[in-house]
This record gives sequence, structure tokens and C-alpha cells, in this order.
Amino acid sequence: MTAHAGRGRPMLVAGGAWDTARRGLPVTVTALVILGAWQLVVRLFDVPSFILPAPTDIASALVDQLTTILSASRLTVSAVLLGLVSGSVAGILVALVVSRFHRISGPVLGVAVIVNCAPIVALAPIFNNWFGVTSLASKAGVAGVMVFFPVLVNTARGLLQVAPLHLELMESLAARPRQISLMLRLPNALPYLFNALKLGSTLAVIGVIVTEYFGGPSNALGVYIAQQASLPRFAEAWAGILVASLLGLAMFGVMSLLERLLMPWHESVHGGEA
Amino acid sequence: MPESPIIRIDGVTKQFNPGTDRSVTALADIDLTIAEGEFVSLLGPSGCGKSTLLRIMADLTPPTAGSVSLNGKSPATARRDRDYGMVFQQAGLFEWRSVQRNVELPLQVAGVAKQERRAKTAAMLDLVRLPEFARHFPWQLSGGMQQRVAIARALSADPKILFMDEPLGALDEMNREHLQGELLRIWSDTRTTVVFVTHSITEAVFLSSRIVVMSPRPGRIAASIDVDLPYPRTAETRTLPAFFDKITEVREALHGMTVAEDAA
Repeated sequence: MTAHAGRGRPMLVAGGAWDTARRGLPVTVTALVILGAWQLVVRLFDVPSFILPAPTDIASALVDQLTTILSASRLTVSAVLLGLVSGSVAGILVALVVSRFHRISGPVLGVAVIVNCAPIVALAPIFNNWFGVTSLASKAGVAGVMVFFPVLVNTARGLLQVAPLHLELMESLAARPRQISLMLRLPNALPYLFNALKLGSTLAVIGVIVTEYFGGPSNALGVYIAQQASLPRFAEAWAGILVASLLGLAMFGVMSLLERLLMPWHESVHGGEA
Repeated sequence: MPESPIIRIDGVTKQFNPGTDRSVTALADIDLTIAEGEFVSLLGPSGCGKSTLLRIMADLTPPTAGSVSLNGKSPATARRDRDYGMVFQQAGLFEWRSVQRNVELPLQVAGVAKQERRAKTAAMLDLVRLPEFARHFPWQLSGGMQQRVAIARALSADPKILFMDEPLGALDEMNREHLQGELLRIWSDTRTTVVFVTHSITEAVFLSSRIVVMSPRPGRIAASIDVDLPYPRTAETRTLPAFFDKITEVREALHGMTVAEDAA
């Protein structure tokens, strides 16, 4: 009988810097090829900047505008974080309540799934009216609603979809409902929750940026992008879009990192092979 | 016959979907007593109700008629008093818990203090010979090791009875024979009463002090065969003529009823 892993100490975060670099290489090469082709096409066919600026133009606009963009990002990031946290907390709380009452969990989750299909970001102008165009609450509100539904649906699923064998084991141990929740349902829901949080972290960025397109404080990233595009200063607008994309990527990265730290035991983290 | 029965089953019948046209009688009028310290296998083809009988003993499903007494109590009380431990066909470890924390689960549910839990868990991991894997996670263990952890978990709260529902069924032959030997050693170390469900004749003969042969549709006890091969049983036991004779005897008991059924 052999263990797959080295004896003595369990491996926590698998892989290493070298592994990461090796896995990242093809992605980097692909990205460079696309950027190169983009640059080449724009220069060769003399594409006008309102259609597509060259990557080098976007880069130099980014360098020029860096202070403005970064200061604009600060407000946007706070709205994203506020929306993400409030949406997640509300989603988790409702999921906990709903999963306790089997009779309502089906209908409530059914409605949540349907609402989740609606383009919630379309509420952006409404939220601007409700909370005021320049307030943080209108941006965080849209983001929060966008995060709420996937977090609710996924967490509830994780709480409810427990392996029958695990339930039977707890039953054979005469575990109380509270113990079943704490020792079985909650940990079982963690992977589901993190899937929702990874999705939600990018949704929150979309929600805030789009709501800012409809108006917001002058130093917000979405407002900046919309203004530059209407001026028209397309390279600057694209530089803003680039930063917004990096923001979404960073949020996703933070969530993945949290996932790795909090559930090193999960298959999505260790990949099944030690 | 048993001096002090620890398990007594009187007239247990189990029907699924009673009173409907999908009604199935899984068990019909089962009487069985098991003495303290016995290793009893419930052996039979699939559909003979052996797992259902085990689940009734463990209070995981109620009988339609009849009564069960465990350690002198109702199965419900025995379950709450944690008089038995249970091992399933799948190890069913919590993948988010380390081996150590999986083994201590029954103690944690019972509200045992952390220090005592740790001491007990260490002893259990010694018993199943996995002490160096305490801090590993289930995904880092082979199937056989996972099942050993499940056995340690089932025994951690010192139950009087160990219920095992085809616990080695998911393992390959090599692992299976190895674990059979381990299981006998653990049984002799702990003196627990074992009720073991299997459909393997060789496995039942090698392990058991008594084999209860069951027949299907509806599930009944066809024979109760004492296995008088001396313990400790080893790899050598598997080569003894007496071992093969017993296998033949059990096979004929199983076969008798299939022939009867075919004739019917």
C-alpha cells in the first residue's frame, strides 16, 4: 500500500514557482502573439483610432494618464469591494436560512435562478436614481445584486447537496441538526461558495463600471472611460478599459488565492494528483 | 448457543412501499441472536436484504414488523448511546478534514474534550497502523488506507458493536486480503462484536466465527454455519483443507436455495 504523497507532511498549496511559470508560458506567448498581430494590423491597414488604437498607443496613453486613472480606480475599487462583500454576505445569509427550511428552499432557489438570468446590470440607471448618481451606494448596489444571486444559488446548493453517505454517517453517530450543519453542510458548501465568489468578483467589476457609465462622481473609472470615449480620445478610453480588465483579473486572483488557502483539500486545488 | 446475546432480532419483517402495487418484501420474519464477541457475516446474493437487515439493526431504517434489541436497548437508544460504529462500502471520509480529524468525528459529535479526542485518535491510528498519516488528507490516501481510516473512525468512540456493510467491496483483491487480515487483528485487539455484510464466500469463511446465509425474495435466513477454524487466522489458513471444506459447505447452503428457487 502506498500513499500518493510524500510521507510525514501533507502538501498544502501544490506546485511551486517553477510549475506556475511553466504553466503560464503558453498563455503569455499566446497573448504576445495576439498583441503583435493587433499592432501589425492597425499599422499595416492604417486603422483609424476610433475603431481600434494600436497597443503601443494605448500603452503610451496609459503612461500619460496613469495618475488620473489610478485615482479614478480608487473610488471604483471601493464600490466593487463594498458590492462584493455586501452581496456575498447577504447571499450566504439567505442561503443559510433557505436551506434550513426544505419546503421553501425549492421555490426560492427557482426564483433566484430565474432572476439570475435577467441582465441585472440593466438596473444601473434605476439605482442611480434611487441612491443618487454620485453616491457609492448606487454603484455598490448594482454590484451587490449581481453578486447576491449566484452566491445565494451556489451556497444553497452546496448546503443541500450533501452526499447521502455522509448524511447517513452523521445519522449513525446521532449527530444533532446543528452539528450536521456545522460539521457537514457548511464545509460541503465551501467549494460551491468559492465558485460563486470567483464569478461574483468579476461581475462586481462589470456592475460598477457599467453603472458609472450612466453617471457618477467625476473621478470614477467608468465615468473616465465614458468621458474619454465621447471626447473622443480613444487611446485614453482603451487605457481605462485595460485598467478595468486588470481590476477584474485581480479580484478573480484574490478569490482564487483565498480558495487555495482555505480549502487545500479540494480537488480543484490539488488537481487529484499529489 | 450464545451465553449473552448482544444483538437479538425477533420476527423482523421489512416491506418497501407497503400497501401499494410496488410493495416489495425485503425481509420476512427474521430471527437472529448474536453473542458478545462474535464475528458474524451476513452472506447472500444481492437483493437478499442483508444490507437492509444491517440498517435496521443500526436504526437507519425502521422494520415494518418485529423488534430488535442492541446491548439490551432499542436500536434508537443504542444509536444515541453510540453503542455501535459503522463502516460503509465507501470510506465516506470528509475530504475537508485531515485523517486525524476524520477519526475524531464521532468523539467530537459526542462532545468529548479536545485533548481526550487527540489521545484517542492517536491510539486508533496506531490500531489501524496509520499513525504517520494523521495530518494527511483523504485524497492523499489509497482506497485501502481510506477504508482503514473509516474503521478507525468507527471504533474511536469505543463501540461494543461494529457494523460493516461490504466494507472491502470496493477494493482490489490484493488489498482486500490484506485488509481481511488487518480486520481480524483489530477484532482480536478490541474484542468488539462484528456484524459484517458481504457477498463473498471466501471472505465470509476467512473472517467469521459464524456465517448467516440469506436467501432472496423475500430475504430469509437459509442457514447459520459455525466456522470452527481456529484464530488467529493467517494467510496459511487459506491453504488448509478445512478452509476449503467450509467454503464448499457454505457454497452448498447458498446453492441449495438457488436450485430450489430455480425449480419453483
